[in-house]
Amino acid sequence: MNRRSRVGKVRKIKVTVEGGWVFHTLTFSLYNIQEYSMLKYIGLRLIHSLFVLFGLSLLIFFIARVMPGDPARVALGPLATEEQVQKLREEIHLDKPFPVQYYYWLRSLLKGDLGRSLYTKRPIVKDLNEYLPATLELVLCSFIISLVFGQVTGVLAGYFRNSWFDGLSRLVSYIGVATPSFVMAIFLLLVFSHILGFIPAVGRISIILRPPPRVTGFIILDSLIAGQFKVALNGLKHIILPALSLAVAHIAQEGRVTRSSIVDNIQKDYVATHVVHGVPTRSVIFKYLLKPSLIPTVSIMGLDFAFIIANAFLVELVFMWPGFARYAVTVMLNKDLNAIVAVVLIVGATFAIVNLIVDIVVSFLDPRIRLQRRGG
Amino acid sequence: MHTKSPLLEIKDLSVSFKVFEGDLKVLNGVNLTINEGEKVGLVGETGCGKTTTIKSVLRVLPSPPARITGGEIFYRGRDILKLKKREIPSIRRGEISAIFQDPLTSLNPVFTIGYQLQEIIKHSLRQQGIEEVSKKELKSRAASLLKETGMPDPERILKSYPIQLSGGMRQRVCISEALRVTVKLLLADEPTTNLDVTIQDQILRRLDELVEKRGTSILFITHSLGVVRHLTHRVYIMYAGNIVETAHTKELFSNPLHPYTRGLLKTVPKLTGEGVSEGIQGRIPNYLNPPEGCRFHPRCGDKMEICINKKPPLFNQGENQMVACFLYGR
Ligand SMILES: Nc1ncnc2c1ncn2[C@@H]1O[C@H](COP(=O)(O)OP(=O)(O)OP(=O)(O)O)[C@@H](O)[C@H]1O
Ligand code: SF4
Ligand SMILES: [Mg+2]
Repeated sequence: MNRRSRVGKVRKIKVTVEGGWVFHTLTFSLYNIQEYSMLKYIGLRLIHSLFVLFGLSLLIFFIARVMPGDPARVALGPLATEEQVQKLREEIHLDKPFPVQYYYWLRSLLKGDLGRSLYTKRPIVKDLNEYLPATLELVLCSFIISLVFGQVTGVLAGYFRNSWFDGLSRLVSYIGVATPSFVMAIFLLLVFSHILGFIPAVGRISIILRPPPRVTGFIILDSLIAGQFKVALNGLKHIILPALSLAVAHIAQEGRVTRSSIVDNIQKDYVATHVVHGVPTRSVIFKYLLKPSLIPTVSIMGLDFAFIIANAFLVELVFMWPGFARYAVTVMLNKDLNAIVAVVLIVGATFAIVNLIVDIVVSFLDPRIRLQRRGG
Repeated sequence: MHTKSPLLEIKDLSVSFKVFEGDLKVLNGVNLTINEGEKVGLVGETGCGKTTTIKSVLRVLPSPPARITGGEIFYRGRDILKLKKREIPSIRRGEISAIFQDPLTSLNPVFTIGYQLQEIIKHSLRQQGIEEVSKKELKSRAASLLKETGMPDPERILKSYPIQLSGGMRQRVCISEALRVTVKLLLADEPTTNLDVTIQDQILRRLDELVEKRGTSILFITHSLGVVRHLTHRVYIMYAGNIVETAHTKELFSNPLHPYTRGLLKTVPKLTGEGVSEGIQGRIPNYLNPPEGCRFHPRCGDKMEICINKKPPLFNQGENQMVACFLYGR
C-alpha cells in the first residue's frame, strides 16, 4: 500500500516533467509571435472565414427558398385558408424578391436575431441556446476521449510495433472504423444498461436532479462551477456512453495515424541521436518522438470534428439526448426556412473555428510551417 | 603515438534486416578493432554496411527490421550485445558518442537547436552528479560548445530550428552535441558528406583538433580515401558487409593487397576524393541473395575456384596488415 502510493507519486512528477514541452512550445511560440506574425495570420484567417460564412449563408438562403413546397403552407398545415397563408408569406417577406429578403435577414442577423421558427413560433436564438450546448458538450467530450485514447494506443502500438498489442489494436481499429456510431450506441446501451445492469442512462441528467444554474450551458461544467459535484458526476454518467459511441471510430482512426507516424519517425536518425546522447527513453518517446508524430494526427482532427457532429444525430436519438443534431434534422424536415439557414451557418462557423484552431496548433507543433508562412 | 590496448573489438558481427521480400543479410562477420587513443578510418562504398556497424555498437539499430544474428562487440572487455536494457545507458554516457551521417535528419526538426542541445547537456551533467543547473548556465554552456566548433553567432543559432541552418552549421551542431563531454570513443559517420570541399576541410580539421585535445579515440566513416589519408592512423576497408582489408594508413596506400582496395586506390581522384567505385566493374551485390564464398568474387579479376565456395578469413600479412582474400593464404 505504502509502496504503491510512492510509485504513484513518482510517476506523477515524471508526467509533469514531460508536460513541460507543451509549455515550452506554447511560450516559445508566443514569444515568437511577432517574428512570425502569428496574430496577423489568425486575423487574416478570421476574415477569410467570415467571407466563407457569408457565401455559405447566401447559398443556403437561396437553396432553402427554391426547395419544392411552400414553407408558409407547410408551417400552417393543410387546413389553413389561403388568406392566412398569404398573410404569413407577407410577414416573413416571402412575397418580396430574393435580394430584399436576404437584406432583411442580414439586417436582423447583425442585431443578433436569427428570426423565428415558422413551426414553433419561438425565436431561433432561443432554440439554439437550448440545444446547441448539449451537442457541443457531447461532441467535445467524445473529442477528448478520442484524443486521449487514440494517442495512447497509437504511441504504444507504434513503439511496440508488430507486437501482439499492435496486432490487437489494428484488429480493433478496423472494427471500430467500420462500425457506424449509432450501431455502436445501441451496442453500448445494450451491454451497459441491460447486460451489466446499470440504470439506463438517457438524457443529460437524471430527471430527479435539478440542473445547475446555467453559465456555459454545459451541464458538467456548470455543476462544477456551482460546486454541485453530485450533479456533475451524474452528468458524466449520462454523457459517457453517447460520447464513447461517437468516439470509437475516431479513437481507431487517430490511433492508426499516430501509430504510422511513430513508426516512420522512430527510424529517423534524430531519435538515435537523442538516445545515444543520453536522453532518457521516457522523454525521447513522449517528447522528441511524439511531438513530430502528432502533426499528421492533429491535421485530420478538424475533419474528425465535423464527422462527429454529423454522426451525433443518430446517437442523440438513441440516448434521447436533447441536442442540436436532432433539432437540425427536425427543422430540415419541416422546411423551417429561418431555422435551416441558422443551423447551416452554425455548423459552418463551428467547422471554421475548429479548423482555425487545428491550423494554429499544427503551426505551434511544426516550426517548418510557421517559418514558411513568414514568407521564406 | 597510441597504446596498444583495444578499446572496442567487434568480432564476427552479423546483422540482417527483415523486409517484405525476405532477409537482407547485410553484415556478414565484421571484424574491427579500435585501440585506445587511435584514429581509425572505415571506408567503403555506399550500402556496404558502415552505418549498420556503428548502430550495432551503439545499440540503436531499429528493430524490427534489424536483427543481430551473430558476433560479439567488446567495449573495454564487456560484451555490449549482452548488456541488459537498463545497463546500456552506461556505455553511452562518458564512454561512446556518435555523429550520425545526415546532419539534417540527425537533428529533431520540431525543436530549436538550443532546446535539444541544452537537454543533452543537462543529462550529461546529471550523469556527473550535478542535478541543479540554471537555465542561464545551460545556455552559456551550449553557446560555448557551439563556439568551440567554429560556429559564428551561437546565440542566434540556439534560437533557430534545424531547417534554418546550412548543412555545415547543422554539422557543427552535431559535433557539439557529440563532444559535450569527454568521451573515450567517438564514432563519426561521414561527418562531412554533402558539404562543399572547403567547409568539409574546415570541419574535419576542427573535429580532429577537438578529438586530439581530449584524447578521444575516433572512428571516421567515409566514402573517401582522401579524407582518411591525413586524419587516421589505421584504415579498414569494407565491402558488402565484410572487412576486406586493414592496415596502417601509410602501408595501405603504398601497398594495398586486396583486389578491391587496389581498385579503390586506382580511382582516388587527386583533388576531391570523390567517386569511389569507378575503377571497379559491377555493383555491390544484392543482400537478399548475396554471392556465396567471397562476396567480391563476381567483380574480382583474380577470382579462383575456392573463392566461389569458401569465405576468406582475415589473413595476417606482416605485422600491421590483414586481408580477407585467398591470394594471401588458404
Ligand atoms: N532500416 C533498414 N531497413 C532495411 N534495410 C536496411 C535498413 N538500414 C540499412 N539497410 C540495408 O543495409 C545496407 C547497408 O546500409 P548502411 O546504411 O549500413 O550502409 P552504409 O555503408 O552506411 O552506406 P552509406 O555510405 O550510403 O551511408 C543497405 O544496403 C540497406 O539495404
Ligand atoms: S578471395 Fe578470391 S574473389 Fe575474393 S577478392 Fe580474393 S581473389 Fe578475389
Ligand atoms: Mg551510412
